[in-house]
Amino acid sequence: MSDAAALPAAADEPHWQRLHPATLALALVRIGPRSLQFLPAVAALGFTGNWVWIVPAILAYLLIAFAAACLQWMRFRFIVGDDAVVIESGVLSRQHRTIPFDRIQDVSIEQGLVSRALGIAKVGFETGAGGKENDAHLDAIGLDAAQALRTTIRAHRSTPVAAPAADAPESAPAPAEDRLLFAMGPRRLLVAGLFNFSLAALAVVGGGMQFFDNLLPFDFNIFNPADWIDIAGRYGLDSWLLAHRWIAGIGAAISLLFIGFASGVATMMFANWDFHLTREPRALRRTRGLTTRTDVAVPVKRVQAAILVTGWLRKRFGWHELRLQSLASDGEKERDHQVVPFGRIEEIDPVLGEVAIRRPDDAQAWQHSHRIVALGPIIGATAATIGGGIALYLGNAVGWLGIVAAPLIALIALWAARYHLWADIGDQVAIRRGWWKPKMTLLPHASVQSVDLKTDFILRPFGLATLVFGVPGGSSLASHEIPAIPLGVAQDLRSRILAAGLRQ
Amino acid sequence: MTDTAAAPTDPFAPDALNASEGLGPVDPAYGHVLRITTALNMLPLAIGATLFDLLVMPRIGGPTGLVSVAAWLFAAIAIVTFPARRVSRWGYRIGEGQLRVARGWLFRTDTIVPFVRVQHIDVGQGPVERWFGLSHLVVHTSGTHNSTVTLPGLQADLAAAMRETIRRHIQTDFA
Repeated sequence: MSDAAALPAAADEPHWQRLHPATLALALVRIGPRSLQFLPAVAALGFTGNWVWIVPAILAYLLIAFAAACLQWMRFRFIVGDDAVVIESGVLSRQHRTIPFDRIQDVSIEQGLVSRALGIAKVGFETGAGGKENDAHLDAIGLDAAQALRTTIRAHRSTPVAAPAADAPESAPAPAEDRLLFAMGPRRLLVAGLFNFSLAALAVVGGGMQFFDNLLPFDFNIFNPADWIDIAGRYGLDSWLLAHRWIAGIGAAISLLFIGFASGVATMMFANWDFHLTREPRALRRTRGLTTRTDVAVPVKRVQAAILVTGWLRKRFGWHELRLQSLASDGEKERDHQVVPFGRIEEIDPVLGEVAIRRPDDAQAWQHSHRIVALGPIIGATAATIGGGIALYLGNAVGWLGIVAAPLIALIALWAARYHLWADIGDQVAIRRGWWKPKMTLLPHASVQSVDLKTDFILRPFGLATLVFGVPGGSSLASHEIPAIPLGVAQDLRSRILAAGLRQ
Repeated sequence: MTDTAAAPTDPFAPDALNASEGLGPVDPAYGHVLRITTALNMLPLAIGATLFDLLVMPRIGGPTGLVSVAAWLFAAIAIVTFPARRVSRWGYRIGEGQLRVARGWLFRTDTIVPFVRVQHIDVGQGPVERWFGLSHLVVHTSGTHNSTVTLPGLQADLAAAMRETIRRHIQTDFA
């Protein structure tokens, strides 16, 4: 361990920079959730009866974790040079990375709640290289330094394109060209949040309440009927309530609904507060977030496909969501960039226009995938029936669940199979699927890198084939495909799409 | 591409499968490569099964010999029969500015990669392949799906020639 060597080196070359010292405070905050990893060790100590050691062990763990964070901070340095960012990191194994400005598609700035309080921001460099290990970021530097860095890199990117003479008109009207494409106010967020009603969030909240029951500052669990009866008891209502249990049932249902809506609104508010999508000379830039504010740019030239998502109910009200698939991924969780989280189709069309993708109009004729796409779920349903039967045979009443659910699953799958549609519209393919959560993918032919034509022992007797497209970006699990279409049609479409690539 | 109708191909005449789709076969010597690789994978399993039979079975009072016989039989079938069939289902075609690779029969995948979409190319050779003078060609695209397309069973000089052909078409597309 020669961490002392880094310090003189930094003194020799003054242009080496370190991360903001407040990063250490951030590291301290992060140790909190991480210490959950330590729980098994604490449990082991407890079970073996070494109670006295628990507190010293936790303290030692915290100390070591903090020392490791300090060491990492000391061994991390970077240079913003004339045409590249150089990052050196690693405590034991050193890593030296050079990122030329030319290869940086854009710089994203992200601020969590703590970071905002400390005035620092995490800077991510989008290079278009795939894979998480290729992501480079500075976590974290001062907010003004981050913005200055982004300005530097953007300025560098704009100079080589235009000659110095032509540079003036480009840089001068640039602010004017930063026009607002889409924004969401509190009202829109509220409506969006109401549609965001989710039972899953409800389950999480419920589970959390159960889990943290003892930790909450107030002694009341809204999911616990006994607590409700306690309250009622204080007002002398308990006997009445026990006599009219259905009131309690309705109360519980209403509070569940309320929590479902409230959590939907809250997640929407936290994620998309003060949402702005602006058109910049090269990119669509999105800023959003209540506690964690993110500032992400999607270079227009890097957009590979557009995905329009809606819901069964929100479609009735004309609300849609637009995602763009780009080379870079959107943060760590999302693969596609959500550029319009909740908007009217009239608001989405201009955004699509900016990335040169056209939405098929209502008169568009769609072609169907073969019904055979429902086979997978039907096999699943059969398995569920068999499993349920076995469970019942063994005397487990849960088996009824499988037997009741199976025909439902099969019916829904058969029904949903009608919604696998596709159309070839000029220079792009449109793929639609889903009835409960309709999704339309608009894939320009030019984004297709490779095409798979797949048949198997089930599709072959029907003369069917599935087309799978290799498109940059997006999730590796959800590739774009047109399932179960006639073989001749598939071969035709494949040659048309690949011809578009050859023309380039 | 081929416009042949999806005639019900005889599954036991796999050569017809490639021919009907306008694909050329890979080098038959690749069958030996596959056979040896399969053997290297299977033998440890079979030996493990035998050891299990000799050491564990007597303790738990199971039928001695059943597991070993099954394992060795399975290994023998896998080594003798499958590789030749698997080789005959690989097919490829290079030309018209694109590389076409097809593989498998039960689940057949027919991939086309236009040369202009290729990011970089590997030509690899494992120890077993070197023995038979074969190489495999790996084409990388920037697509998330199909980010690598592998074509095994090529004569080493053919693989190198294909690499050069494709390389001439790779051009930078950075904005």
